[in-house]
Amino acid sequence: MQKYWRRGEPFVWLTGAALTLTLVMAAALIIVVMVNGLGVFWPTEVTQAKFQDGTRVMGEIIKREPLPSGEGDRIQFKTGNRDLYGLDFRWVDTAGIIELDHPVEAVVLEREEYGNFYGFLHEINAPDLDQPAGETLGEQLSAVRQSVEKRQQEIGQLEERVAGLSDRMQDLRLELQKLEFEGYPPESSAVKEVRQRQSLLREDFDTLVARHEDRRRELRQIQATFADVSGTLKTVAVADIVRAYYPNDMAWWEKAVFYLSKLKELFLGEPREANTEGGLFPAIFGTVMLIFLMSLFSFPLGVIAAIYLREYAKEGPIVRVVRIAVNNLAGIPSIVYGIFGLGFFIYGVGGSLDRLFFPERLPTPTFGTGGILWASLTLALLTVPVVIVATDEALGAIPKGVREGSLALGATKFQTLSRILVPMASPGIMTGLILAMARAAGEVAPLMITGVVKLAPALPLDGDFPFLHLDRKFMHLGFHIYDIGFQSPNVEAAKPMVFVTTLLLVLIVLIMSSVAIHLRNKMKKRYTYGTF
Amino acid sequence: MDQKLIKRIKRRDTLARWIITAGGFAIIFCVIFILLLIARVSFPLFADPEAHVVARFQPEGMAGENILASGVDEYLENAYVLTRGGELVFFALPSGSVVRRIELEPPGAGDTLEAAELHGDQVYTLLWSGGAVTVDRVAFASQFDEDGNRTIVPRVERQAELSALEDGEPVRALARVARDGTLTRISLTSDNRLLLDRVAVTQDIFGRESREEIRQAIDGGPDRISALTLDEAGDGLYAGTDNGVLLRWDLSDAREPQRLGRVPAFDDQRQITALTMVYGDISLAVGDEKGGLSTWFPVSDPSRGGEERLRLIHELTGHPTAVTRIIASRRDKSLISLDRSGIVHLDHMTSERHLIGLDEISPLRAVGFSTRGTGLVGIGEDAVMTVWALYNPHPEVSLKTLFGKVWYESYDQPVYAWQSSSSSDDFEPKLSLTPLIFGTLKGTFYAMLLAVPLALLGAIYTSQFARPRFRELIKPTVEVMAAIPTVVIGFLAALWFAPLLERNIVAFFLSLAFVPTSLILAIVLWQPLRRVRALQRIERGYEFISLLPVLILAVAVAFVLGPVFEGLLFGGDFTLWMFSEGGLRYDQRNSIVISFGLGFAVIPIIFTIAEDSLSNVPSSLRAASLAMGASRWQTVWRVILPSASPGIFAGVMIGLGRAIGETMIVLMATGNTAIMSLSPFNGMRPLSSNIAVEIPEAPVGGTLYRILFLSAVILFVMTFLLNTVAEVVRQRLRRKYGQF
Repeated sequence: MQKYWRRGEPFVWLTGAALTLTLVMAAALIIVVMVNGLGVFWPTEVTQAKFQDGTRVMGEIIKREPLPSGEGDRIQFKTGNRDLYGLDFRWVDTAGIIELDHPVEAVVLEREEYGNFYGFLHEINAPDLDQPAGETLGEQLSAVRQSVEKRQQEIGQLEERVAGLSDRMQDLRLELQKLEFEGYPPESSAVKEVRQRQSLLREDFDTLVARHEDRRRELRQIQATFADVSGTLKTVAVADIVRAYYPNDMAWWEKAVFYLSKLKELFLGEPREANTEGGLFPAIFGTVMLIFLMSLFSFPLGVIAAIYLREYAKEGPIVRVVRIAVNNLAGIPSIVYGIFGLGFFIYGVGGSLDRLFFPERLPTPTFGTGGILWASLTLALLTVPVVIVATDEALGAIPKGVREGSLALGATKFQTLSRILVPMASPGIMTGLILAMARAAGEVAPLMITGVVKLAPALPLDGDFPFLHLDRKFMHLGFHIYDIGFQSPNVEAAKPMVFVTTLLLVLIVLIMSSVAIHLRNKMKKRYTYGTF
Repeated sequence: MDQKLIKRIKRRDTLARWIITAGGFAIIFCVIFILLLIARVSFPLFADPEAHVVARFQPEGMAGENILASGVDEYLENAYVLTRGGELVFFALPSGSVVRRIELEPPGAGDTLEAAELHGDQVYTLLWSGGAVTVDRVAFASQFDEDGNRTIVPRVERQAELSALEDGEPVRALARVARDGTLTRISLTSDNRLLLDRVAVTQDIFGRESREEIRQAIDGGPDRISALTLDEAGDGLYAGTDNGVLLRWDLSDAREPQRLGRVPAFDDQRQITALTMVYGDISLAVGDEKGGLSTWFPVSDPSRGGEERLRLIHELTGHPTAVTRIIASRRDKSLISLDRSGIVHLDHMTSERHLIGLDEISPLRAVGFSTRGTGLVGIGEDAVMTVWALYNPHPEVSLKTLFGKVWYESYDQPVYAWQSSSSSDDFEPKLSLTPLIFGTLKGTFYAMLLAVPLALLGAIYTSQFARPRFRELIKPTVEVMAAIPTVVIGFLAALWFAPLLERNIVAFFLSLAFVPTSLILAIVLWQPLRRVRALQRIERGYEFISLLPVLILAVAVAFVLGPVFEGLLFGGDFTLWMFSEGGLRYDQRNSIVISFGLGFAVIPIIFTIAEDSLSNVPSSLRAASLAMGASRWQTVWRVILPSASPGIFAGVMIGLGRAIGETMIVLMATGNTAIMSLSPFNGMRPLSSNIAVEIPEAPVGGTLYRILFLSAVILFVMTFLLNTVAEVVRQRLRRKYGQF
């Protein structure tokens, strides 16, 4: 035993324990995210609780925990029906419950507003529809919903046309503003022409809006009445129902289909209910676009800087200072980059652009406010060091003999570089790029002050000229987590969505960095053998 | 060979060299540029205020001694003087031509002005020779003509008129019209009596007005009053005497004016020559015979049973001769003071900064402030009028207010405080960076407390003891851990870990004890087992796996026993017990949460760098040590660690830099309260999250905006130093072992 201690074996165990704890923490994080994120879309059974005094509560059971007093348990129900009860969640003592059961006919509605509805279908009221097909009320409801969906699509087309017209009107308004700014008098022909076009457009617009309104009103006439568990009736316009399902009456494969349809909504749908329901499409799109733009700026600069450091610069104090500077850039807090982006890009460059090119719109800023361009430039600065370090290492790993061989054959330095070194180092460079992209995907703090928003009205890339709108604000997965987890009015109801977003972001980042690390390790093996 | 081709190739080579060299220098340029730009935004905070003369002229036909007061509008386009004859003369600036003359209507025929007291926004209490008092306000209205050009039209409003006293001749009069229309007049008679007149107009619910007039003598005591001031509401009366005593009354009940204290202000009994309320009506500015300028406000005095007593709070830069007049700015807590020799000082109360001193060739007799503190006007002995434009963007900022303790109004003692905004207008932002720096350091400290041991010990095990197969798995795992977005860590720390910890705080402390104990227990139990041949493999790099069940068991036992212990020792609720027994508050988002959240983000960074430097120690050293008969731990402790220590040091430094600058985790999991408490159960507000929280609301170019940039500079400098030290050490290390 004494010898055992003298040899220091217990310390080896201590170091082992430290490693185990670290890995357990990492595993715990992944498990928590997985457990909470994966199950969100799986339909939970709806439970009905009957009490001694005859009242009933129905909803999804969220959790069960012992009472603070230590006697008995309490159950948290997600009762939904926010428009009826005011709250989504309710704690219930198990002591008062006579019976818990799962009524087969219980229906869950996902709605455009007020969150979920838990209850029973009571009747369908569709005045201008033929008697819907189907034996049961439930089948009738799905038939009605199908025809409503068809009409909604028509209305959607109308809406698109309205949006197109309103964009054109906005363009005309800006044109007019510009003409006025340039000093054209109101009676000049240019201004008159624009005004005429404006009035024509307005007529079109008004009729279209009126038609759209009519259609919508008609559609909203189609209603269905539901009863909650205590019998209170609630009439809902069928158009407001996003999804209706009977979780207690679903086979596992039906649940799987349901899960997939929710996933589809997640990836392709728009957010609803202050971002706590619906899809993440704008956020995913914003994140991808941001990373893409950032790569455009940061990769060339980073690769060139690394090539300079490794191939052109002479080893000496200057190169050492540059290396220190690069590593310093990597260590600067991201919020400082954000502040820099705000002070330099937005108020500096953006403000000047506005004064030069869009003076007629001032004081409304065009580029002088946060936008995807400034955010991606800020991120580019932040990720440049990652690219530099990776490229530098990749070039450094190439044996000297390769360079010397190429030069000895008469190639110029640039030829050696472009034909031999860069292709050989490309896996390493790729690693740097992917790591930079992963870093950019997870960085939120600098975005918060350079243009991310909780809900962007339009994507930065769309069908309107000039297609790419670099001045627009955007949504981002990371900010989405912060926003709905910390700034939404109903944090408890938002939690599932936060976990889903978290899971998605973690997966994206983990996959990207695993690929990068794998590439790097493979490359390391390729060049570390042999001695030149 | 084709000469052209070779030329082209050479040209390309040169071009590439240029481009690539330029790219390299762009990086250095970037680092310097970022620092310079951020610093440039924060520099104006410390710039010296400037005053430059906009206009100087001799008003026609006016003698200096005839002028009672003067003022200027905020655009510095019109200046005016008030003469003894009761006439306001407005001059256009900078020409000095007379634009308008307004005769004030005297209360009695042929009255001239005796004294004018400025208070509020260009409001004067005028004492006429007949003894009557009027309150008049000079207002500048902006008018726009068809072309959008602005002209400023001065006018005068009379707010109140009070007839002369029946008994006694006033030498000084103060009158205030409160917001509800209540009129208060204080008269100081030539025989040192103080008289209060109050006219209260109340309106009942039917809109009937009733008027109540009260006349009351105020007990002024034996001291001879030499200076007087009254707050805007007319409820707080302050007086200074010729033997250096400050007196204070509460007049809110006009029938019974209450004297709230008599404070001998100066030991040498010097005369108090000027009094004014600082903007916000809490502080009293006091000027004395010896040129001293100080501010006072009531502070509760525990030695007198909590009674509020005037105390000297700020001492501002003094004058060479007696202070004759103090005027408070209407924008902030700035004061201008005029002394007998005609020197003007502009000082800020809270920052105690002496902003501007003006000693003109001709001593000034009267001074005035523009409404928003943009300009200053002065009339000299020779009746020459001078108007200065003030460049004074951040008077409230000084090194002392940013980093030191400051005695803010309504506080019982000097404090470090960060409170940048509030709902009220006359609120003074409290912008001490000390609690924020403290928060940053506290969060970093707790994070490093967890991260450094775990990361370093883990790195030692991975690089030295683990089987190579595991090493190839562990390293990428930890690197992937580094890639987890901090927003995810912050979210989990705040919304998953913090509530969990709050429910199981006792279990957490138990596991702090159980984990080491179980480790020792496991080692002791291991002694007989390690003789079994089949289990000996474990000592060849499988230790960490075999420890997994032990550690999990220890934590599980702690969680099972936690509620039991809590019930037995702390009456079932630890946080409640802690509050009632120790007075310690438990925040849900506290330093323990930060320790884990921020620690989690820092571990992989320290781990990776430390592991790299440990594995890069030449294997010949290790082989030599083992060959000499040293055990594997002895080899690590005596040979490997000393060789790798610079790398490990660099790793810790870089981890430290990362923890200091991390934003999202601390933003989400600290609670963001700017308190300075060392307790692990409280949160904090670090510099980084403070920037993220406040910058969207900070007006561009304002004080807060610049201070946030300043805190970015502080963050930058902190991380810059840490990173540079780490990098220099690392480069040394690389050169040292490059030869092996």
